[in-house]
Amino acid sequence: MLSRIADSLFWLGRYIERAEYTARILDVNYHMLLEQSQQPYRLHWEPLIAMAGEQERFAQFYGEATAQTSFEFLAFRPENPSSIVECIAKARENARTIRDRISREMWEDINGLYHTVTRFDAAEEIATGPHRICETVKFGSHRFHGVTDATLPHDEGWEFLRVGWALERQEMTARLVDVQYHNLLDGPAHLGPPDKHQWMAVLKSVGAYEAYHRQYHSPIEPERVAEMLILHPQHPRSIRFSTAEVHSGLRAISGSHTGSYSNEADRLAGKALERLRYDTIDEIFKQGLHAYLNEVQQMSCAIGEAIATTYFYYRVAA
Amino acid sequence: MEALDRGLFKGYQPGIFYDEMFSAPGSPRLHYAKLYQKLAGMELAQFEERRKLADLSFLLQGITFTVYSDGRGTERLFPFDLIPRILPQSEWRHIERGLAQRVMALNLFLQDVYGKQRIFKDRQISRSLVYSCPHFRREMIGVEVPRGIHTHICGIDLVRDSKTGEFYVLEDNARTPSGISYVLENRLVMTRTFPDAFQDYEVLPVDHYPAELSRILRSLSSHGDEEAQIVLLTPGIYNSAYFEHSFLAQQMGIELVEGRDLVVDGDVVFTKTIHGLKRVDVIYRRVDDEFLDGLSFRADSLLGVPGLMGAYRAGNVALANAVGNGVADDKAVYAYVPAFIRYYLGEDPILRSVDTYLCTRPADCAYVLDHLNELVVKAVGESGGYGMLMGPWASQAKIEEFRGAIAANPRNYIAQPVIPLSRVPSHNPATGGMAGRHVDLRPYCLYDGQKVTIVPGGLTRVALQPNSMVVNSSQGGGSKDTWVLRGEGAE
Repeated sequence: MLSRIADSLFWLGRYIERAEYTARILDVNYHMLLEQSQQPYRLHWEPLIAMAGEQERFAQFYGEATAQTSFEFLAFRPENPSSIVECIAKARENARTIRDRISREMWEDINGLYHTVTRFDAAEEIATGPHRICETVKFGSHRFHGVTDATLPHDEGWEFLRVGWALERQEMTARLVDVQYHNLLDGPAHLGPPDKHQWMAVLKSVGAYEAYHRQYHSPIEPERVAEMLILHPQHPRSIRFSTAEVHSGLRAISGSHTGSYSNEADRLAGKALERLRYDTIDEIFKQGLHAYLNEVQQMSCAIGEAIATTYFYYRVAA
Repeated sequence: MEALDRGLFKGYQPGIFYDEMFSAPGSPRLHYAKLYQKLAGMELAQFEERRKLADLSFLLQGITFTVYSDGRGTERLFPFDLIPRILPQSEWRHIERGLAQRVMALNLFLQDVYGKQRIFKDRQISRSLVYSCPHFRREMIGVEVPRGIHTHICGIDLVRDSKTGEFYVLEDNARTPSGISYVLENRLVMTRTFPDAFQDYEVLPVDHYPAELSRILRSLSSHGDEEAQIVLLTPGIYNSAYFEHSFLAQQMGIELVEGRDLVVDGDVVFTKTIHGLKRVDVIYRRVDDEFLDGLSFRADSLLGVPGLMGAYRAGNVALANAVGNGVADDKAVYAYVPAFIRYYLGEDPILRSVDTYLCTRPADCAYVLDHLNELVVKAVGESGGYGMLMGPWASQAKIEEFRGAIAANPRNYIAQPVIPLSRVPSHNPATGGMAGRHVDLRPYCLYDGQKVTIVPGGLTRVALQPNSMVVNSSQGGGSKDTWVLRGEGAE
């Protein structure tokens, strides 16, 4: 497989996942904040901008982060490279450069999603709220996964896609937990402890609310929410699960056996996974959640770079 | 006929032009009669529904081309018109024979010009005319191309002259002609949106083109084995024909590469893969000559592969089409193609060429300058409808601009009389009904070194603007499905 094609598949996966994650977070928080608008709320809009890592850019265009400005910025703003529409456009652009290598169904699916989201009228959507576009993107992403699994041979190319979206998910979940905990637990004392609605929002934004109840049969507690999102072995959005996906995809590409590695990307992914397998939530809180999640994010970056140097970049030969 | 007073064809006027569908107002030609009956019975709304379905299908499949006029490159649909262009078998057979003859002669000419150069010694064409073509490639002299094939693919443009009803060759397009993907996709969309139109006809299929092209490319490999790596080299997604490049690569099951995916080491070309370098044997290149290799041609080109010409000359990689073919479709050399056919094949040309005034000939040049408002003037090295003056429709300022340009560089220009192109009824957005629109025809000819294979029909391009005779997609043209019938269509 050409390095450029592997590169495009990897980023196709990442951009789709980033669009879906942004849509999820935006949708859930928007509606929760509306419900609570009568009370002094502690979940402000800034954290959502922080989650996308785009505080500086946001400040260039807007003063205060309100429901409207945040929605516009996260969903539509072309200057925000992580906005939903931009991510879908870039996913489609990657697909377009390799449309001979993906299935016709995949191309038509992502192309259709692109035409749908670019036809949303920003002003009109901002007036009615983000639910419609967020649902479209969420299900668009799910459908694309489904179409991919059903029509693309599960070969190296498929693995690069899988590694792309799993790595993005790992990083986004780490950011989500980090920002929300900081916001909820380190907030001003006079507001009192956060109520359970806010933890529910965190779970809902990753689609883990029902799963939490099946798992714990107990009221919502911050430590357990963190445990679920970081360490759960089966929930598809937990950091551990996503890391396992990255690891298994990379090993399928390199052909290395369990317990060994044949390049730096393999090694880092294996190391990250082993740690997540044996850490407990108590240990994580003892170390400090923020510090721990920071390490996870740094590891994600390092794995991404190692994948690029191993498979995508060529020093000029000859 | 009363049908003309209602439905799609209400008020339709074939006009003074040769109408492909009608021999006289209300009288369809024999091979169009059955289709006409079907269409004439349709309501405007029914037709509109089919039309929208077809447009949506093209949009969702992303069958678009890129225009550069706004600097950023915008994707546009290549407009598709639902009324097919139909050719009965007898007419097609004549075209097919004529095209095959022409391709053979062009290939022999290219072999000769870059080889023994007999034609100069025999004074059929002057060396100075050939050497002064903008697309003549000195680097190709003495290069023996695999199996002696230069013109693997030609997209020869034909037009039907309304005055005589005969087909003329307008351009030979022996470099990197595009459009075949639209032929295949148009047919696909047509069978989906208008299945009932096919019921009364036996239309010859076109979908074997990629397999035929693939067979020829494979035969060029010096290894000649199944394992040969064949790639399609594209300038990338910003190229106007990018859709076609990816479409053909996918259909042929070969890798679509950009220049940055390739590297030359020791006169051998490789692809950069995730598991290391892999040797390339054949390149179907859709990058123009001057961008192919920054070491041999334009040094500012990022589209090509440094060192590629070295590998080509060393015989380690085959290129299709061959480098230097532009000399055969130079618009001044065009005037000599009938002579090539006589000289190399000893035959009379089957298809006619358009009378051509070469501005290098003083008498021709004087005539051209005196009749600029009647003639079509073309820059010899251009294609795609660029660098052209359509005298009868041009502004005085434009005419004066060309007058100056011709006087300054006569070698760069030729002129031809305006051919009143034939018309086919086409959708008229102003009324929802039909109006006559001018068309040309570009069949795609594949040459394997022995024989020429032509997919029945080709691309019918249509000038969608009223009265316009410019059919190029970059100039607002569209296309139609082209049907070659197994018989005469009246059975």
